Amino acid sequence: MRPRTDNDEKTINPAQRVQVWFICLAIIIGIFGIRLFYLQVIRHDYYRKAALSSQLKEYLVPAERGIIEARDGDQITPIVLNEKKYTLFVDPKYITESEKAAFKIQKEIGGDASAYEKQMKLDTRYAILAKKLDKSQKEKIDKLDIKGIGTREESYRTYPQGELAAQILGFVDNDGVGKYGLEQALNTELQGVPGQLRAITDARGVPLVANKDNIITRPQNGDRVLLTVDVSMQKQMEDLLKAGLDKAKSKSGSAFIMDPYTGAIKAMANYPTYNPGEYFKVENGDTFNNSVVSSPLEVGSIMKPLTAAAALDKGVVSKNTTYFDPSKYKIGDATVTNIEEDGGAGTRSVADILELSLNTGATWLLMQMGGGEINQKARETWYDYMTNHYRFGKITGIEQGYESPGTVPDPNKGYGLNIQYANTAFGQGMSATPLQMGAALSAVINGGTYYKPRLVESTTNSKGKVTKKKPEISGRNVVSPKVSEEMVGLMQGVVNKNYAVYGMKKPDGRHIIGGKTGTAQITKPTGGYYEDKFNGTFMGFLGGDSPEYVIFVRVNEPGIKGYAGSKAAAPIFASITEMLINNFNATPKTR
Amino acid sequence: MQPGGRRREVGSQVARQHKPDYWLLLLSAGLLAMGLVVLYSISPGLSAQKNVGENYYVIKQLTAIGLGLAAFIFTANTPVNLWRKFERPIVIAAFVVAIAVRVVGEQINGAYRWIQLGGMSFQAAELIKFALLIWLAGFLADRIRNHEIQDTSKIQKPLFIVLGLIAVIVAFVQSDLGSSAVMVAMIASMVFIAGAPKKLLFQTAIAIIIGIVLLTSTSSYRRSRLATFFNPTRDCQAEGYQACQALIAVGSGGIAGLGLGKGVQAYGYLPESQNDSIFAIYAEKFGFLGVTALLGLFLGFFSRLKKVIVHTTDAYSRLLVVGVLAWLSTQTIINIGAMTGMLPLKGITLPFISYGGTSLVFITAAIGIVFQISRYTSYSVVNSQKVEGQSHEGTTDRRRLRGTYNPGARGRN
Repeated sequence: MRPRTDNDEKTINPAQRVQVWFICLAIIIGIFGIRLFYLQVIRHDYYRKAALSSQLKEYLVPAERGIIEARDGDQITPIVLNEKKYTLFVDPKYITESEKAAFKIQKEIGGDASAYEKQMKLDTRYAILAKKLDKSQKEKIDKLDIKGIGTREESYRTYPQGELAAQILGFVDNDGVGKYGLEQALNTELQGVPGQLRAITDARGVPLVANKDNIITRPQNGDRVLLTVDVSMQKQMEDLLKAGLDKAKSKSGSAFIMDPYTGAIKAMANYPTYNPGEYFKVENGDTFNNSVVSSPLEVGSIMKPLTAAAALDKGVVSKNTTYFDPSKYKIGDATVTNIEEDGGAGTRSVADILELSLNTGATWLLMQMGGGEINQKARETWYDYMTNHYRFGKITGIEQGYESPGTVPDPNKGYGLNIQYANTAFGQGMSATPLQMGAALSAVINGGTYYKPRLVESTTNSKGKVTKKKPEISGRNVVSPKVSEEMVGLMQGVVNKNYAVYGMKKPDGRHIIGGKTGTAQITKPTGGYYEDKFNGTFMGFLGGDSPEYVIFVRVNEPGIKGYAGSKAAAPIFASITEMLINNFNATPKTR
Repeated sequence: MQPGGRRREVGSQVARQHKPDYWLLLLSAGLLAMGLVVLYSISPGLSAQKNVGENYYVIKQLTAIGLGLAAFIFTANTPVNLWRKFERPIVIAAFVVAIAVRVVGEQINGAYRWIQLGGMSFQAAELIKFALLIWLAGFLADRIRNHEIQDTSKIQKPLFIVLGLIAVIVAFVQSDLGSSAVMVAMIASMVFIAGAPKKLLFQTAIAIIIGIVLLTSTSSYRRSRLATFFNPTRDCQAEGYQACQALIAVGSGGIAGLGLGKGVQAYGYLPESQNDSIFAIYAEKFGFLGVTALLGLFLGFFSRLKKVIVHTTDAYSRLLVVGVLAWLSTQTIINIGAMTGMLPLKGITLPFISYGGTSLVFITAAIGIVFQISRYTSYSVVNSQKVEGQSHEGTTDRRRLRGTYNPGARGRN
C-alpha cells in the first residue's frame, strides 16, 4: 500500500466508483430482462391477440353477379352484363398535403378538388372520393402515386339493350343488392356467395403474402339466367305499346305475351320505362314497378269470360242456353246496369253476354250458380272459382319482385254481399294483376291446366351446371276440356263481331283470335270510383288450331273518346297479333 | 497549454503499448451485424411503406458502416493526446452545427435536428455529444492534474454553463430530450468518476431535476408524452400509438420470436421501426431468447468498456472511456426502456442496432478512441486518483502496472 497523505480523506477511488456505476447498469439491464420476460413470455398471448386484432383483417371477396340472357330467335343474347369500374378511395391518415393531392386528382379525373380535399381530412381510415372510374382513369391515378390514395375494382351492371325489359330486370343498387324485377326476386341466385379472405395485412390493409394465418375461400359466382323472353318480340311489343299509348293519349300502360301451354312469358313491358344502368336518374319510383305483376286493378269486363267459363264448367248453363235479360237487375238497394249500349231488354245467349259485354248477363250467370238467385251458394261457388280455379288473391310466384296477390272479397263476411258479388262477376269490387288474369285465361283456353307464369328458362351455376326450368303446374281442371274448347269459340266470337269497333282487320281465317275488352272505373285511393277515369284492358289470344299466345294489354286513363277497352287497348292487342303473325310466324290453322 | 497536459502527453508516449482489446471490436461487430440483419429483414416492408427501392435502407446502412469503419480506423490510430489538440476545433464545429441546424436545418415536428448534406442527413446532436466527450474529458483531467477536482468553485460554474447550453440548444431548440438526457448522463458519470465532491453531484442533480420539470411543463407535446408514458393504453390511436405498437411488437415475439421473415409490426404499424423502434422489431422476430442474447451482448460490451476504464491509469484516457460508456449505455437504457414501456419515448437510437448514419459514425469513432486507449491499459486496477496525479513511486502496485511506468512524472510534485 502506498503511504498515507494529508489528502487521504478526500481520496477518491475511481475503480470503486466505476464498479458502483457498472453494477447499477447491470441491474438496470437485469430489470429489462425481467420486464421482457413479463412482456414476451407471461403476457405473450395478450399481445399476440392485440397484434392480430389490428393485423388480421377480414375481407369479403365479392362474387361476380350472374349475367342475364334472353333468346333472340335461335340465338341467345345477353341483356345484362357486368363491367369492371373503379372506386377511388383515400386513407386520410396517409395524406400529408391534401390540397395538393386533391388538385392533382382533379386534374386527372375531373370532379371537385375541394370535395376531394374535404374527404381527405375526415377522421377515418377510408373515404370514397369517386366512383365508377374507367380503366384509363384508374391508371392515371395509379401514376400519380399519392400515398393513401387507392382504387378498388368494382363490378357494375351494364345493359347492352338499354331500356329493354327494364321492369322485368330491375336494377342493382350501389350495395350490390338487386331491386325490383328479376334482380330482386333472384338476388340470392344471381349474386352468388362471396369469398372470404382473412389475411395478415400491413398497416395500409394490403395483405402480406404467405402467412399461415391467411385463410381464403374462393367466391362462388352467381348463376347465369336465361329468360323465356324473346328479345325481338319484347322490343317490338314495347314499340307497339308505346305507339298505342301515344295514340290513345295515355301516359302509361302495360302489355305482355305468354305461352298458355307452358306459362312462359315471351314479352312483358310497361311504359314509361327507364334505363336500369341509370336507375338513379329516375324521379318517379313507380317507374321501377313491373305493373303487370305488382299493380292489381279492378279488372272490369275482361272478367266476364272467366265468369262464363265458371258457369259452364259448373254445368249451370250451357253454351246454347238463352235467357231473358231485363237490362237491369235490382239487387238489394243497388241496381246492376250495363255500361255499354246493350240494345235494351231481350232474349240473350251466353255468347251475347260476352259479345255485348253485358253486366246483367254476368250477374245472371252468377245467379245460375245459386240456382237462379245470388245467394250463399252462388257466392261460395264463384269464390271457389276465383280463388281456387283462377288463383286470384294469391301470388303466381313468377320470378319478380313485389308481386301483388290482389284481393277477392270473402263470400260470407261483410255488408251487401250479394251486390258485391254481382259486381265481381263483371270484374269490379275485386282486384287482380294483369298477370293473374293472363294466367287464368291461359288455363281456361288451354284445356284447363293452370301453368305458373315464369320468366326463367334455365339457370347455369358457376360450375357450368345447367338447370332447365320445366313448366310448373299450379292447378288442374280449372275448367273441363270441353268448356275450354267452348270458351275459345266464344271469345273468337267476340272478336269476330267487334273487330271493326276494335280497329282490327277482319280475322284472316288462318288464325284464331279471341279476346275481351274491359273498361273499368279507376278506384280512388280514398274509396269509391273516379267518374271520369278509366282503365282500358284487352285480354285475348292468338293461335292456329289451338291458342298459341295469350296477350294482355292495359291502358291507363286514355285521353281519347269511347270505351277504353275497345278504343284504347284493343288496337294495341290488334297490332300485337299482327306482329306475331307477320314477324314471328304464329302457327296457322291446319284444320 | 497547461503543464498538466504536456506532461501527460509525454507520459502516454512513454507508456508501453500492448495488444488492444479485440473483444471491443468483436462485440461491436456482432451488434452491428445483428442490426443489419434486422434492417435487412424489414427492408421490403419499409421500402414499400416509404416508396423507395427494395434495398434502399440496407445500402444506406452499409454506406454508414463503411464511413463508420473509416472513422474507427482514424480514431483507433490517433494517439489519445492528440484529441486535446482537436478539442477546440471540435467544440467550435459543434457550436457551428448547433446554430446551423436552427438556420438551415429541416424542421420535423417542431424540432430542428437534422441538416441535409447532399443525399445524407446529419444529426447535429451526435456531433455535440462527441464534442462534449472530448471537451469534458480534457476539462476534468486538467482539474485532476491541478488538484482542483475537489474544489467545487473551480468546477461548478463551467459545468452549469454547459448544462445550460445543453438545455437551451439540445433540449429546447432541437427539442431533443433524449440526446439531452444522454449528455447529462455523460456529464454526471464523468464528473462522478473523476472524483468530484458529492456535494457538487448533489447540486447538479437538483439543477437537472429543475430543468426537467421546467422543460416538461412548458411544452404540451412533452406533457402528453409523459401522460402517455404513465398510461400507454390511454390512447393507443394517437399519442400512445407508438408506445402501444412497440409493446405489441415486443409481446407478440414470445419466447422464440416469430422468426426473421415473419414479423408484421414493421409493415407500417410501428413507427420508426428501422430506427428508434428497432429493438421492438428485433424482439418481435427473435423473442425473449434473442432479446436475452442481445442484452447479454450489450452487457458484455459495456463490461469491456468498464474493464478499460479500471485498467487505465491516465485520467484523460479514462474519462474518455467513461464518457463513451455513459453515452452508449444511457442511450441503450433510454431506448430499450421506452420500447418496453418503462421509460417515456424519447426518440433516440439504439447504439449499433438502429438505422442511422450520423449516430453510427460517431459511435464507431468513439469506439476507435477506446480501442486506442485499450492498448495502454495496466494489469492492475487503478485504485486512487491521487496515485496517478501525484506519485507512483514507492507503490507496490507500480511494478505490476504496464504502460503507466512514467519516469517523466517522477520527481514532480
